[in-house]
Amino acid sequence: MTTPGIRRFRLGLLLALICVAVLVWWDHRSVNFRTLVMRSDPDTLLDDASVRGTLLSHGRQVFLAHCASCHGEEGKGDQRKAIPDLTDSDFLYGQNTVSQIELIVLHGIRAGDTKGWDLAEMPGFAKKIPYTREPLPSLTPDQISDLVGFLRAANGHGGYALDRIERGRKLFTTNAGCWDCHSNDAAGDPSIGAPDLVDGIWLKGNGSEADITETIEHGFANVSPAFSHILPAYDARSVAVYTASLHPPVKRASTS
Amino acid sequence: MIDSPNPGPEILDSAIGEGPADRASGPLHRHNEKRSLILCAIGAIGGLIIAGAGLFTAQGTRIAGVPPEDIAIVNQVPILMSDYVTQLQANEGVGLSQATVAQKRKVLDQMIREELYVQRGIELGLQSDIIEVRQALVGAVEAQQAVDASATQPSEQALQAIYQHDIVRYNNEGTMLLDDYIAPSLVQAQATVAAIRGGEPITGAVSTHALKSSGKMNDGQEFYFAAKIHLGDQLFKVAEGLRAGQVSDPVVAPDGVHILFMHQNTPPVPAGFDEVREQVLANYRADKVARMQSGADAFLRKRADIQIAQGFE
Repeated sequence: MTTPGIRRFRLGLLLALICVAVLVWWDHRSVNFRTLVMRSDPDTLLDDASVRGTLLSHGRQVFLAHCASCHGEEGKGDQRKAIPDLTDSDFLYGQNTVSQIELIVLHGIRAGDTKGWDLAEMPGFAKKIPYTREPLPSLTPDQISDLVGFLRAANGHGGYALDRIERGRKLFTTNAGCWDCHSNDAAGDPSIGAPDLVDGIWLKGNGSEADITETIEHGFANVSPAFSHILPAYDARSVAVYTASLHPPVKRASTS
Repeated sequence: MIDSPNPGPEILDSAIGEGPADRASGPLHRHNEKRSLILCAIGAIGGLIIAGAGLFTAQGTRIAGVPPEDIAIVNQVPILMSDYVTQLQANEGVGLSQATVAQKRKVLDQMIREELYVQRGIELGLQSDIIEVRQALVGAVEAQQAVDASATQPSEQALQAIYQHDIVRYNNEGTMLLDDYIAPSLVQAQATVAAIRGGEPITGAVSTHALKSSGKMNDGQEFYFAAKIHLGDQLFKVAEGLRAGQVSDPVVAPDGVHILFMHQNTPPVPAGFDEVREQVLANYRADKVARMQSGADAFLRKRADIQIAQGFE
């Protein structure tokens, strides 16, 4: 015959065992899920319905904690600070694949991590030494003005004298060395992070004469931190998936 | 029987109204003892399981297997999955899902081989023998400090404060547009200056007194740094003080007597914060890296056992 106390004890024991079993099952499931994610091709994860929702949800949390302070909560960036918009279709580095984004998350851009991107930076041509990585000539204010005229005209702005445009184009493709990173057609090179200068999307400023002049005169080289020693690998992959999802053709992650 | 100064269990049991006889016969008490034993046993078994799991499945132990974020572990050193995917793309030009088994195996073998050779190199002490290895290691440690510094993001207020503190550091380059002439003699130069200051057009005055352009400022408007290079320190110092429309006194220089006529002079002014924010941030990080390196130097020296030969202290 059992007393109420014994029954309570047995019930408590049973509940405790169930809790332990649930925890073990949950942990096992979680490990399996992470293993599945980490062993999969990162570039297929966005199309995999079985993992997509969880990764986007977790990725957004990581994004808010580590990326939003610069890129903004919605990933819109800040042109004033030359922080790229992650939601447009203009890709500065690579082609917006999850693996490429994950590489940036882990190893950064100009962050001192040798596995990260650090192939070029924008020289400042109103300096005695415009570029420390290779010799480039300083430019005069008139030459910079010609370059600005050429770039403005190339983006469809009228009112620039043809000879000024031509001088600017010539400078762009010869002495100033712009072509070396931005290509002869000024369409940029995503393999080194050189922006397209004729698509009307500006990394810094809004493409006004003053903004382009300022960029050519002073240059810039923003840094994206390397998180390989800060974020667990699963978090890095999740945030890469989330960031890739911000690209317009892909359905946006739910923020609720 | 000897009286004990301390009350025994019987006395305590009596005091709370449950004697030994009650305890022995009460079913509740029997079950309490049993329950205690069961809980004790469960606790002990649970502890053993947790300890065993921790001991045998902790990261780095062979029984734990390869963690999800790694593709292999070579002598307890992981080869990261992200590195593998990058290497696959770089070497074979394919992603993980498109790669054939042979391609995957080839790249993995290369990475394992590299890891083995790195480990062997350390075993052989190559870091002591090969200059390139030593330089690479020093560079890597310094770079790691830069990585740590780059991961810190100061607040806008902190950046503003740095900018305000070092505002002169963020001056724009001034610009100037001037003519630089060389006179045949000091007398001719003085006459030209007098004529221009008297209202004579500069081209006429220059022609009348046979002055020639020095050719130093033929690029038109120039930034201050460029004008300084082209004119030299002596002439640039004079030019800096001229306002638009002013002509300088004759300047006697090794290459002749110069006069300068200023068309436009815009001195450097501090750039706005937004304009130089990245530069402020870069300087903040560079300062931080320098401080970290200095701290690391001190720490490494403090914990190191360094003996220096007599006479070389």
